Amino acid sequence: MGMDRRTFLKGLGTGIAVAGPGSSLLPGRLEAKEVVASKEFMGVLVDTTRCIGCRSCELACAEAHALPVPDISDASALDKIRQTSVTQWTLVNRYQTEKGEVFAKKQCMHCNQPGCVAACLVKAMQKREDGAVTWDTNCMGCRYCMISCPFDIPKFEYDSAFPKIQKCSLCWERLQKGEKPTCVEACPAEALAFDSRRELIEEANRRIYKESGKYISHIYGEREVGGTGYLYISAVPFEQIGFRTDLGTTAYPELSKGFLYSVPIVLLLWPAFLIGVNTITKRKDEVQRREGGKK
Amino acid sequence: MEGFTYLDIFATKGVEYLLVISVLLLFIPFWRMVSRPARAIYQATESIVPAISEWFHLPEEKLYYHQGHGWAMPESGNVVRVGMDDFAQKLVGKIDAIQFPQVGSRVTQGEKGWSLLAGSKSIDMLSPVDGEIIEINKSLLSSPESIGKDPYGQSWLMKVQAPKISANLKNLLSGGLARQWMEGVRESLLARMNYNLGAVSQDGGVLVDGIARNLDRERWDEIAREYFLIS
Amino acid sequence: MNTVIAEEEKRELKDIVAFIRSELKPKGKLLTPFNLISAPIILLGVLLILYRLARGMGAVTNLSQEFPWGIWIGFDVMVGVAFAGGAYVLTFVVYILRSDKYHSIIRATVLNGLLAYVFYAGAIFLDLGRWWNITNPLWGNKFGVNSVLFLIAWHFLLYMLAEFVEFSPAIAEWLGLRKLRKILGSLTVGAVIVGIALSTLHQAGLGALFMMAKGKVHPLWYTEFIPVLFFVSSIFAGLSMVIFEGTISHRVFSDKISHEDHAAYDDMLIGLSQGCAVAMFVYFFAQFLILIHGWHWALLNTPMGYWYLTEMVGLVAIPCFMFFQGARYRNMLLIRTAAILAMIGIIVNRLNISIIAFKWWVPFSERYFPSWMEIVITLAIILTEIWVFRWIVNRMPVFGKPPAWAEETHQ
Repeated sequence: MGMDRRTFLKGLGTGIAVAGPGSSLLPGRLEAKEVVASKEFMGVLVDTTRCIGCRSCELACAEAHALPVPDISDASALDKIRQTSVTQWTLVNRYQTEKGEVFAKKQCMHCNQPGCVAACLVKAMQKREDGAVTWDTNCMGCRYCMISCPFDIPKFEYDSAFPKIQKCSLCWERLQKGEKPTCVEACPAEALAFDSRRELIEEANRRIYKESGKYISHIYGEREVGGTGYLYISAVPFEQIGFRTDLGTTAYPELSKGFLYSVPIVLLLWPAFLIGVNTITKRKDEVQRREGGKK
Repeated sequence: MEGFTYLDIFATKGVEYLLVISVLLLFIPFWRMVSRPARAIYQATESIVPAISEWFHLPEEKLYYHQGHGWAMPESGNVVRVGMDDFAQKLVGKIDAIQFPQVGSRVTQGEKGWSLLAGSKSIDMLSPVDGEIIEINKSLLSSPESIGKDPYGQSWLMKVQAPKISANLKNLLSGGLARQWMEGVRESLLARMNYNLGAVSQDGGVLVDGIARNLDRERWDEIAREYFLIS
Repeated sequence: MNTVIAEEEKRELKDIVAFIRSELKPKGKLLTPFNLISAPIILLGVLLILYRLARGMGAVTNLSQEFPWGIWIGFDVMVGVAFAGGAYVLTFVVYILRSDKYHSIIRATVLNGLLAYVFYAGAIFLDLGRWWNITNPLWGNKFGVNSVLFLIAWHFLLYMLAEFVEFSPAIAEWLGLRKLRKILGSLTVGAVIVGIALSTLHQAGLGALFMMAKGKVHPLWYTEFIPVLFFVSSIFAGLSMVIFEGTISHRVFSDKISHEDHAAYDDMLIGLSQGCAVAMFVYFFAQFLILIHGWHWALLNTPMGYWYLTEMVGLVAIPCFMFFQGARYRNMLLIRTAAILAMIGIIVNRLNISIIAFKWWVPFSERYFPSWMEIVITLAIILTEIWVFRWIVNRMPVFGKPPAWAEETHQ
């Protein structure tokens, strides 16, 4: 085994720490209190009332991550609703709403407790201390992260013999150098703001209160699926700009918690029970018969 | 919105409890019915058991039984009358003929004594005693239909001059021991017949066909050999 | 007796190797209809697998970003493992409850279970985009202990070992290794207990995989009780498979089965169908309870609702009743038909959760349908399994009685 005890324990620790921070405000998770990470999650606030649909973020993202560069002068790309893809980690969609055209940026939401991270059996998908959800090459390509993502974000390179999972990494390599994600830097309309998640929620609330009537009173991502790193505010209900509002506020890893918690219990109780039954059924005549004939 | 209106997450609990109780009540008859056969099948079993039991009845006379289902009855001196029991005939069904060794040849206890011919198959049976054959029942040769009609009387098979008669008889079963042995045979056969009660129908088909054939149409002779201790 | 063993121990390894080599040669006719049909399919399957490895998943599958899991997971793994459930149910009955009634079919069932895991769970390998990393969850440097899939990967591996140990006495008997046979035989009960515990968890675990697909699986199928439902349904899925497989085996391998077992076989079938009837009865009402618990009855009057009712009534309640009647009236035909219906019900259920009711809102034209290549590869896997099964059954004491010396060395 290429791993000593310490790194293994540390590995276990981060596994739990991932479950910690977002849930520290939830009741009934006393057992997770001690493993709250020290660093605050960073995030991005998207103000859809400010977005002008210039797609500069798409361009910047492609350039920063060596992806095919989109032609952002071609406005026809906005005619239909697009999904992120293996070559496009972020994109802007145009929606017709009750208040006219609204643009909304789409990318990985960087959940506080990501379903994809809980799903990964080799820890290729990781929730970093600063909030980024990143992918690594020890991935097996099982695509369970794609099943488990409530936003359908991880994309798989089906056409490659050496496929990767492609998704927004919140420019994790830039965050480590103390820089902002490249899309935030590229935004000319200040529709994107990068800060700690706590600051962003305060800022979002400030905007909603200050310009009364401009926004609906909801920050998408504050509580959805246990909270996400990307936060959205909007003038129109979120259903109208391509968001699922039926996902609930439970963090996705919590959904398989019941089963995973039962595993050690079953592994302890079941064999003991079976041995008990096996012993009780071992009647003397049975034994004698076995000795005489059939095995 | 969640958290702003009252949501009763236990709204259906009452119905669920009622459902569980009614399912459990339903489960009792379900369980009872699935774990025992339907009445028609059950009655067929009931009616056939007494009929079968007759075949295992052993006469009170002074007969000695070999576990291969042959019997021996000492007559005068060292002469022993030999036959097969009722069960043997019922197991095989209609017997077309019996193949005897030559008069004057020797038989050995626990070794082949004679063979039953039924259809295309031939099944050996074991001799219950040692000795020299001095007579065979010629009436069976001339009228094979009488084979097994009176297994302990008219349908005897042969007479043997047995020099070691007292030693031979000690190896055979009689009285209570014989009845115990036959009870064991009966139980093992009934356990087997339960598997194929459909085949063992209420009419007398069994008696004509033989039990073994009803158990396994293809390889019934193997079953018969097993009971006759041949295999 | 002792001299025999001593002589046998003297047998050199060379003899065993020579014996295995002689056994490797085919027995019986090569040009049977089954061989003529299956061999080209297997060959084509192998070529397609090579093609898939060279060109990536997209070259042979119809998988998409919307539907990341297709029939290799939804059918090969999920259904294959459910059908292999007969092994843990029967080992429980034979080795834990010690019911000798089913002893004669235990080896065939365990062998079937073992091969099902090797082949169908082995199909995971094809479905892994980055298959060269397959050992990562086992001795890689990162253990994703919080993943249900991590649990399943380990359980599959350990369970395959347990089933191999359960079956290994037959191999030792085949090779004539008496001492080894004695040792392996003594491990059986331990392997059975471990195997049952592992089975319980990973049968349920396959269902738990979809816990995080909340919002993607249609609410009539998505419930927090999927793991429990998967476990309960694996009981009658496995038993139905035992009935089905046994029916075929008893025709194909009838020369290997003693008459005694032929006679006892019908009674065994009745016992199995009683088990199926009870498990399906419980399963049906558990589904009903969950429907009420989820307030989902309004959804029944929708196209997906009709499909749900088809599954629950047509493929659970009706076969349950058929098993019930079949057991009561000793009607073997009814029992066998019920087994086939129940198996279809399991296929439909697993495919519903993984494919059909998965993202049910996606229009028909954009939905996932397996490509012909996915189907050929799946068929090739099933046929190869049957070839291996046949090879083993024709050589090792699976259906027939073990050699006399092995009967003396009881467990």
